[in-house]
Amino acid sequence: MKFLSSIWRALFGDTMRAFGIVSGLLLIALAIAPAKDHFSEWHGYQNGYLSLIHDRSDAISLRRRFEPGIQQIWLPELGVVDRCATCHEGLKEASLADVKMQPFRKHPVIPHPLDRYGCVICHRGQGPATTVSEAHFSERAGEDPILPARFIESGCGQCHQNELTGTPQLNSGRKMLAQYGCVSCHLVKTPDGTTMKATDDPPSLEHLADKTTREWVFSWIKDPQAYAVSATMPNYKLSDADASDISAFLMSSSTPHAGDSDATMIALAKNADPSAGASLYGESFCATCHAVQNGAGNLVGGNVGPELTRVGNKVKPAWLQAWIENPHVYNSATMMPHYRFTPQQVATLTSYLMSKTDSDYGSNVHLDPATPAQIAHGKKLVAELGCAACHTINGVNKPDNFAPDLSRIGSKPLSQVVFLPGMQHALPAYIAGKIKDPQAFGPGLKMPQYTLTDTQRDGLTTALLSLGDRSQTMPEKLRVAGIHQTTYEPAGPAGKLMTDLDCFSCHRINGHGSDMAPDLTLEGSSVQRAWLDAFLKNPNTLRPALTRRMPRFNLSDADRKTLTDYIMVVYQSATIDPDKAPPAVNPPAMVEHGRQLFYSRYACQSCHIIDTKTDKGYIGPTLTQVGSRLTPAWIYAWLKNPQELRPGTMEPNQNISDEDARAMTAFLMTLKGSGKQEGKQ
Amino acid sequence: MPGKTDKILEQVEQSRVWRSIFRSGRGTSTLHRALAIQQNVFLHLFSTKVRKRMLSVSSTWYLGTLTLGTFMILIITGVLLMLYYHPSVPQAYADMKDLQFVVSSGLFLRNLHRWSAQAMVFLVFAHMFKVFYRGAYRAPREFNWVIGVVLLLITLLLSYTGYLLPWDQLAYWAITVGSNLSKAVPLVGSKIHFLMLGGNQVNANALLRFYVLHCLILPLAALLFIAVHFWRIRKDGGLYVHQSEPKRAGAVDESTLVKEAK
Repeated sequence: MKFLSSIWRALFGDTMRAFGIVSGLLLIALAIAPAKDHFSEWHGYQNGYLSLIHDRSDAISLRRRFEPGIQQIWLPELGVVDRCATCHEGLKEASLADVKMQPFRKHPVIPHPLDRYGCVICHRGQGPATTVSEAHFSERAGEDPILPARFIESGCGQCHQNELTGTPQLNSGRKMLAQYGCVSCHLVKTPDGTTMKATDDPPSLEHLADKTTREWVFSWIKDPQAYAVSATMPNYKLSDADASDISAFLMSSSTPHAGDSDATMIALAKNADPSAGASLYGESFCATCHAVQNGAGNLVGGNVGPELTRVGNKVKPAWLQAWIENPHVYNSATMMPHYRFTPQQVATLTSYLMSKTDSDYGSNVHLDPATPAQIAHGKKLVAELGCAACHTINGVNKPDNFAPDLSRIGSKPLSQVVFLPGMQHALPAYIAGKIKDPQAFGPGLKMPQYTLTDTQRDGLTTALLSLGDRSQTMPEKLRVAGIHQTTYEPAGPAGKLMTDLDCFSCHRINGHGSDMAPDLTLEGSSVQRAWLDAFLKNPNTLRPALTRRMPRFNLSDADRKTLTDYIMVVYQSATIDPDKAPPAVNPPAMVEHGRQLFYSRYACQSCHIIDTKTDKGYIGPTLTQVGSRLTPAWIYAWLKNPQELRPGTMEPNQNISDEDARAMTAFLMTLKGSGKQEGKQ
Repeated sequence: MPGKTDKILEQVEQSRVWRSIFRSGRGTSTLHRALAIQQNVFLHLFSTKVRKRMLSVSSTWYLGTLTLGTFMILIITGVLLMLYYHPSVPQAYADMKDLQFVVSSGLFLRNLHRWSAQAMVFLVFAHMFKVFYRGAYRAPREFNWVIGVVLLLITLLLSYTGYLLPWDQLAYWAITVGSNLSKAVPLVGSKIHFLMLGGNQVNANALLRFYVLHCLILPLAALLFIAVHFWRIRKDGGLYVHQSEPKRAGAVDESTLVKEAK
C-alpha cells in the first residue's frame, strides 16, 4: 500500500508532472490506432506474396503487375464491393499455377472475367472485409459465410437457369427437385418467373383397387424402398396402425374403372411360356425405361418407369394384362407407349412379369377388414400428410402451399434457422441436414424421409443454394433463361397416333417432349423416306454404345404410312434446300477425294465408324449405312454447320469449305451398308 | 535565456495587436484576474472566483467537466465520421463497413464515438445523482437543475438518434420498437410516430430525419443549453458548497474563499 502510494506521488504528485504523464499516455493511446492500421493482416499477406514471387524466374513481371494497397472490385449493378484480391494477389497470374498455398493460388479458368463478376457472387463471404475472419466466417450481422467449395456450382445456377455442361451437380440437383416430387409440396419459383413442375409422374390412386391389394399398399407405404430400391416415394415412418388405416381409406375411396381388368386372357397367360416372356421383354426394350434388380443387387435398366423387380407382388394379373394392352385406358397421361401387342404377346409378358415376385415380401401382412372409424382416420391422415400433393385421390383435394416456399431458400438468414446440436452454423449444413433427416428437426415436421446418397444430397443442396435473393434480383441481361416445354402438339390422325405411341416420352419436337432420344423437329429433311419406313417397322440402333433403344411398336402398314407421310412433310427444315444439295450419285474420283478428307484431313473416324473392322470411334453414330439413311442435302448442311441444325450437338464445326463438304457428302452417300450387316444389328 | 524569453513575451503582450484582443493586460491583482475572465467570451460564462475547496476531487468528482469532455470528443469524432457517412439507405451500412475495413483509423474513430457516447450518458446520470444527493438543486439553483434535466433529455435523444445511423438490423429494430412506443400516446400517438419517422415505417425518410436531428438540431440545442447551464452556475453563486447554504442571512464563511495572491 505504501509502495503504491509512493508510486502515485512520484507520478502525479506534482501538477506539471501529472500533466506531462497524462499527455504522454494520451499520445500513446492515439498512436495505437494508426499502428494497428499499419500492421494489419492484409499488409502481412502482401509481404508474403512479395517474398513468394521474389525467387521466381518471372519475378520482375510479377512484381510489375503487383499493386500494393487495398484492391477492390466494385460493381454497383450487382451490389458487389469485393476486396478479396487485397490478399489473394495471384488470382490472375497464370504463371502461379503451381502455387498451392493460399491466399496466393491462381484462380482456376472459368468462363467469366473476375473483374466483371467479383468473387462473392459465387463464393459468398463478406466482400468488403479486409480480414480473414470477417471475410470468410462472419455471420453475426447477417453476413454470408464463405460457401464450401463442393457447393460452388450453386453460384452458376443464380444466372443460368438452363442446363450447363460444366455443372453436373447443379443439373442433377435441379432434376431431382422435380423428380423426387419436392416441388409438389414446396413452391419453387425460378428467377425467370416460372414455377418448377414435378416430373415424377406420381400415379393416380382413383382406381387403386383395380390394380393392387390393400396388403401391398400397406407394405408399400410402410417402406417404399423395401419394395423397390429405386422408389422415389419417401418414407413417412408410419406406425402399423396408421399404415393400415391409410390403406383402408385408399382402397375404400378407389372406384372401379371400365377396361381396367381384362379377364379374358387369363387362360392364355397360364399357358404362356415364361422364357418367351424374357425375350419379348428384351425385344420390346422394356429395360430402356424399367429397371430390374439383378442377382448382385444392382439395378439394370432405365429409371423412366417404375422398377419391376417385385412387380408380381404388387399388381393383379387382370389389371396388368389390360395395362400392357393399352396403358392409356387406366392412365391417359402415362408416358408408357401403347405397344400394339397381340393377345398372345400380352399374355406372355403378363405371365413373365407376374413371375417377378419375392415370396418374402409382405408375407407376414394380415390386415383385418377395415372399420368405418379406421377409414375415417385414414382419410384424416391422408389429408394431414399431404398425400394428395402428389397423388390424385378421390375425396381429398390437392393441398395449397402445403410446405414452405423454397424460392429464396439459398438466402435464408441464419438468424431464422434452427440448427441441430453439433451442426455447423452454415446454410449448406442446415439444408443438407434437413434433407438427410427431417424428423430430427422436430416430431411435428411433416417432411418425410428420403433415401438419398451423399452425392444426391449435395446435388439437391447445390440446387437449393442457387435459389437466393441474388438470383432473384440479378440484372435481367445477366440472366440465362431455362428451356421450357412448349405446348406443341402434332395435328390430325398422325398426331393422334403419336400421342398414343407417346413419342414425346423420349423425343422432342418443336420444343415439346423429353431429351432422351433424338430431336425430331427436322426429321423430314434429315432422313430418306424408305429408311424411315423401315426403321418404324423394325428399329435398328444407330448408336450401339447406348443402352436405350427405340422399341418396336408393331404398327400396322396403314399407321406406319400415316406417320411416315406426316414426318416427311411436316418436320422439314426451312433452311435446307434439297435442290442445291450435291447429287446422291457422284463420280468415283470425287468419292475417293471425300474418303481421304474424311480419314485424314478431318479425322472423322475418331468418333464415327465406317468400317466396323478398322474404325473404333463410338462417340458419334455409326455411319456404315448413312448413305441409305440421310439425305445428301442434310449431310451437306450438317457438315457445314452442325450446331445450326441441332444446337448443343457434340459434333464440332470444323469450318469445312463448300468443296470439301461436297466431296465428303459424295463419299458418305456411297455408304449403303449391306443387307447382312443390317440384319446383324 | 529565460530572461530573454520573458522579454520577448513581454514585448508581445505589450503590442497593439495583443492588447486589442486581450484588453485587461497582465497583472496579478484581483482586478486583472477578474477582467481576464470577464472579458473572454468563453470564460465569462464561468465564475471569476472559485473556492479552493471546490477544486478538489471529492467536492464534485469533476462529473460536469468530464461530461463536457466526452461531449467535446463526440463533436470532434462526429464531425470526422460525417466525412465518411451518407445518410442514404443503400450507402449507410456500406459506409460502416468501409469505416471498419478501409478508412485509416476508421474503426478507432467509430469506437471512440460510440464509447464516448456511452460514457456521456453514464456521466450525465452520475452528475445528476451527485447534484441531487448533495442537495445542490435547491434555491437558488432550481432553474439550473431544470436546464440540467433538459440537457439530460438532449443527451438521451442524441444517443437514440445516433443508434439508427449504422443502419444494421440492430439499429433498424431498435428504432422500430422505440418509435412504436410513441404510438401509445393517446389521441396524437400515431401522428407523433409519423412525424418522427417521416412515414409509417423506419425507412429512408426516418434515416434522414434522425441524421439531421443527430448531427445538427440536437447538438446545437445541447450547446445552447450548456452555455446557459454554465452561465447560471456563476449567476447562482458559483459551485455549490456543502454546508455553505447560508444558515443566517448575510453570513459568509470567509475561510473557504480562495486566498488572494499578492
